[in-house]
Amino acid sequence: MSDVIDTPRQRRAGRRALLIAIPVAVLSVLPLLWALMSSLRPSSEIFAHLSPFTLSTIWPSSVSLDNYAAVLGSDFSRSLINSVIVAFFSVVLGLIVSSLAAFALAVLDFPGRGAVFAVMVVSFLVPFEAIAIPLASTFRDWNLQNTMVGLVLPAIGNGLSIFLLRQFFLNIPYSLAEAARMDGLSWFGIYRRIYLPLSRASLVGAGLILFVFQWQSFLWPLLIAPSPDSRVAPVAIADFAQESGVDYGQMFAAAILTAAVPLILLLIFQRQFTGSLASSGSKE
Amino acid sequence: MSQSSVTLRATTAAASPSRTRSRRLARIRIWLTAGAFLLPALIGLLILRIIPTVQAIGTSLTNQVGTVSFSNFGYVFTDPSFLNALKVTLLFSIVINPVQIALALWLAVVLTKRVPGVGIWRTLILLPIAVPQIVSAIVWGVLFRPDGPLNGVLEALGIAPVPWLVSPSTALLSIMIICTWVGVGYWMTFLVAGIKDIPASLYEASELDGAGGWQQFRYITLPGLRRPLLFVLVADTVANFLIFAPVRILTQGGPQGSTNLIMNFIFERAYTLADPGGAAAATIVLVLIVVCVVGVQFRLLPGKD
Repeated sequence: MSDVIDTPRQRRAGRRALLIAIPVAVLSVLPLLWALMSSLRPSSEIFAHLSPFTLSTIWPSSVSLDNYAAVLGSDFSRSLINSVIVAFFSVVLGLIVSSLAAFALAVLDFPGRGAVFAVMVVSFLVPFEAIAIPLASTFRDWNLQNTMVGLVLPAIGNGLSIFLLRQFFLNIPYSLAEAARMDGLSWFGIYRRIYLPLSRASLVGAGLILFVFQWQSFLWPLLIAPSPDSRVAPVAIADFAQESGVDYGQMFAAAILTAAVPLILLLIFQRQFTGSLASSGSKE
Repeated sequence: MSQSSVTLRATTAAASPSRTRSRRLARIRIWLTAGAFLLPALIGLLILRIIPTVQAIGTSLTNQVGTVSFSNFGYVFTDPSFLNALKVTLLFSIVINPVQIALALWLAVVLTKRVPGVGIWRTLILLPIAVPQIVSAIVWGVLFRPDGPLNGVLEALGIAPVPWLVSPSTALLSIMIICTWVGVGYWMTFLVAGIKDIPASLYEASELDGAGGWQQFRYITLPGLRRPLLFVLVADTVANFLIFAPVRILTQGGPQGSTNLIMNFIFERAYTLADPGGAAAATIVLVLIVVCVVGVQFRLLPGKD
């Protein structure tokens, strides 16, 4: 967006828009902020100031990290580590598999390309969750329950990231690949030495999308890895929340720890994230 | 078979046999290369989509005795709890999709104006999508407690407390509020990108012609947003069919089945009630609905060109 034209009328409209933007932004953040504040105080205090709603509903009278210490000293840290491992392998393997496929679909001119791409798009439109429950019994037949492989594998056939990367690869001038072919570079070499290095930003974007959705996936890990040793953070939180006599302070601490990882990544890579989303929605 | 017919064609094309042959070889080679690049994704597709779908169809068509029949479908469609789940899912979709998309569109229009600090507001509104759904569900579950902060706010405003998740008349609404809070910023992001792609000159020209804000929206923004809006419509509708975590954590479908969205129904069929045939039949129904919705929405919107 250039600043070529900036009429007083536009500026006035912009300032008026603040009246909408600020309240909506506050509403978006307030529940998280409240959870953060609740995680910093003892459980007994969380519900002490709810009604009527005053500043002390949100602001703790004394701040302590006891809840975090308790949560990190429990089984939950194991689940957090599981989440990190699962998300890491999902992103790395997911990017490799989908960038290879995207390269074939964007650069190689082979018969049946349109059909393969159509199948990929359909698989992207009918999300994985829809068939997760029957898939889980298949995976159990293959003895993949409570294994890393079982948790990571579904992230690999991700239609969305294939779609995103193909989109980006299409924008790289084909003449580069042609010139490299003349110089005797193999197709894999072209993929590896030309396309991947030129696509760093969109790889970050696609990786981030893979990460955010893998990190928060709940249904699949619940189905395939419910045991305390192999469960990931969202499943552990759900188990935690459904215990009787749950300690709310600790529950919020676990929730904040789980939410913090993707939130921080999103804040750092906000541009790549929105850029990637944009290219999947608005272009053919 | 196709191999030999290709050979036949190649040898009959007598013009320059060696050239044709090398072109044919190049074709086969590019095909093999593409196959190698696509192999991992295709194996994934096979294992993760096609096999489970075929198996689900198989399971749904197998009755208790183990013979092929449509009895699972017959029985789910006469099962009041399945019909209720369909009804709840439909009601949920009919309300939440227009609301979410209208809100996302409205915010996208507002946040593409010359707002001071516009990036900050957009990012803050986008944040909830990155919060794991389970965390959102838990936080909102506490906010919605009868003695929780939300009712505290209402009390401060002099409004009677709302039973939120505990009453059949407000529980589904509460789930809708959570999902809207999670999703609006996400869908807004696609529409913001779409509006930015509309040439600024259109707005400038219309402004010179004295067009008001509503006219600009109606005649420039809306037509220019057709493609991203179609995408958001399809993707949001599909996503809302698959809502699971908040229901599982907060209501388990209750009270009185009022929030028993279809994913929760299928989950309970498969695990609580140990009825894989019924679960598979319901899954097939769900997948068919999703495919139909995607198809109809693509057809309804004009000018796909």
